[in-house]
Amino acid sequence: MGMQGDFFQLLKEQGYQFGMSPIGPGGQSMPESEITRGTTILAMKYHDGVLVAGDRRATAGNMVMYDRTDKVLELDRYSVMAIAGVPATAYEMARVLEHSFKYYRRTQLQELSFEGKLRALSKLLKENVPAALAGTGAVAPLFGGYDVDQETAKIYFYDILGAEFEGVEYAVSGSGSPTIRGILHYLNTWGQTPLNAQSEQEAVVQALRLLTSAAEFDSATGGINREANLYPVIKLITKNGVTTVPDDRLKLLFEDQVVRYV
Amino acid sequence: MYEEPYKWVEAVDNRRHYLDEQFRRGSPVVAASYADGIVLVTYARGTPKLYEIYDRLALGGMGHPADLEKLRFTLLEMAHVEGFNRSPSDVTGSRLLKNGLAPIVKQAFEEIYKAPFIVKILLAELGLKAGRDTFLTMNYDGTFEELTGCAVLAASPSAQSSMHAWLRQHGNFNQGSLSQALSICLLAWGVGSLAQREEEQTGTASGTTVSINVTADASPSVPERDVVLRHVRQAAIDMSVECAILARTASGTSKYRALKPNELPELLSLDLNPATNG
Repeated sequence: MGMQGDFFQLLKEQGYQFGMSPIGPGGQSMPESEITRGTTILAMKYHDGVLVAGDRRATAGNMVMYDRTDKVLELDRYSVMAIAGVPATAYEMARVLEHSFKYYRRTQLQELSFEGKLRALSKLLKENVPAALAGTGAVAPLFGGYDVDQETAKIYFYDILGAEFEGVEYAVSGSGSPTIRGILHYLNTWGQTPLNAQSEQEAVVQALRLLTSAAEFDSATGGINREANLYPVIKLITKNGVTTVPDDRLKLLFEDQVVRYV
Repeated sequence: MYEEPYKWVEAVDNRRHYLDEQFRRGSPVVAASYADGIVLVTYARGTPKLYEIYDRLALGGMGHPADLEKLRFTLLEMAHVEGFNRSPSDVTGSRLLKNGLAPIVKQAFEEIYKAPFIVKILLAELGLKAGRDTFLTMNYDGTFEELTGCAVLAASPSAQSSMHAWLRQHGNFNQGSLSQALSICLLAWGVGSLAQREEEQTGTASGTTVSINVTADASPSVPERDVVLRHVRQAAIDMSVECAILARTASGTSKYRALKPNELPELLSLDLNPATNG
């Protein structure tokens, strides 16, 4: 199987089992309130490519577990996965995918196609269905990437069962997503500039405003905390690859174009 | 017939001669550290000889392409499973080669009823800082060597010695630029290739201690730079330069990059045009 460049299959042959058992050691399902979850993520097109952003909060029931979670994960030079749902499963998915893409490139001496990368994520979600249905491992990720062959940036979103949908202009996921989905629809339809015509700076400012709005209405979404120098993770994917917007730039843009409105 | 010890030794010896013969016309491989990374260089006829193994590991090989592919996949599997199960920093060339590959190759070499691997391996591992790069070479019988600064593969020990002598004489390991390292490595390739050609013409057994370029005190001599450069240019007629780097300053986790043919003229301080030879 290794000759086909399938790393996940190679892991399975070595006894690896993906995902968590839906049933706990005592035969009981875990109470949902004890399971850590990540929250609001978004992806949107802009003039040069795709922006993917996520807030930093992870919660378990009413408890804030962590306020510096990185939910926007770079899988390779041209692909980013943003995670909403159970971080334990989502991080494992990202690890499997990162190794799978590298392994494919190194064994087959060519990059895995964009479609191949999408299928790889879908396949992992399908493997995870028992845990997702049991409520112990549900993940609803976004996938943003640059298709080098077609020379265009694309956005996809998934349900917890692995169904894949293209987000033509934008996609959202997580508990704060209903709030920002409506705003994105409004901006893209009646805003001064359609999303895909925004400059990089305009797109970054919109992302900061959107996540701030999500935090306003959803307690599970972490807002921006300037005192703690805590900003969302925002990554840009263009034909030159993935770059992360530095906190210094986010701080300046937030203070200049976001803070006065909240 | 091989139950008798002396016959087994004889069979292994025959096998050694057979394998040495297989490498006679192989293209040497050179790897050396420069300030910001490691450069690997060879000349190839179509089939690549330099590969990415893991984030900071590169492979150079001589021998039969099918055997090289088999061992390359073995390395890739071991490296990626280890990197996934533990951490990328636990994937080291030393562990992969000494604990993984060498026993497999040694066993194949000594099982005289089975085909041996017709392959020599060079692993280059990029350190976190300059001066911490390591190199490992492995012969077809599973014997390996760990080196710093530079490493080479060639058909015979004497050709390798000549290449090492050239590199020691001209190299500025861990300090020079990529451009300098690339030119020196390419000329070192020429030294090895010339030594192999001389051995082939004079019929010297490549695995034996006799060497064309070995002086009375057994220290290898190296040809003049002009002679080497002419040979390197001549080689460019029917082969192409294959070059890869492990760049410490590269963004992301994967540090390996194969240089494109159009990048070489800008980087090389040598004129490789065969017409220049006149």
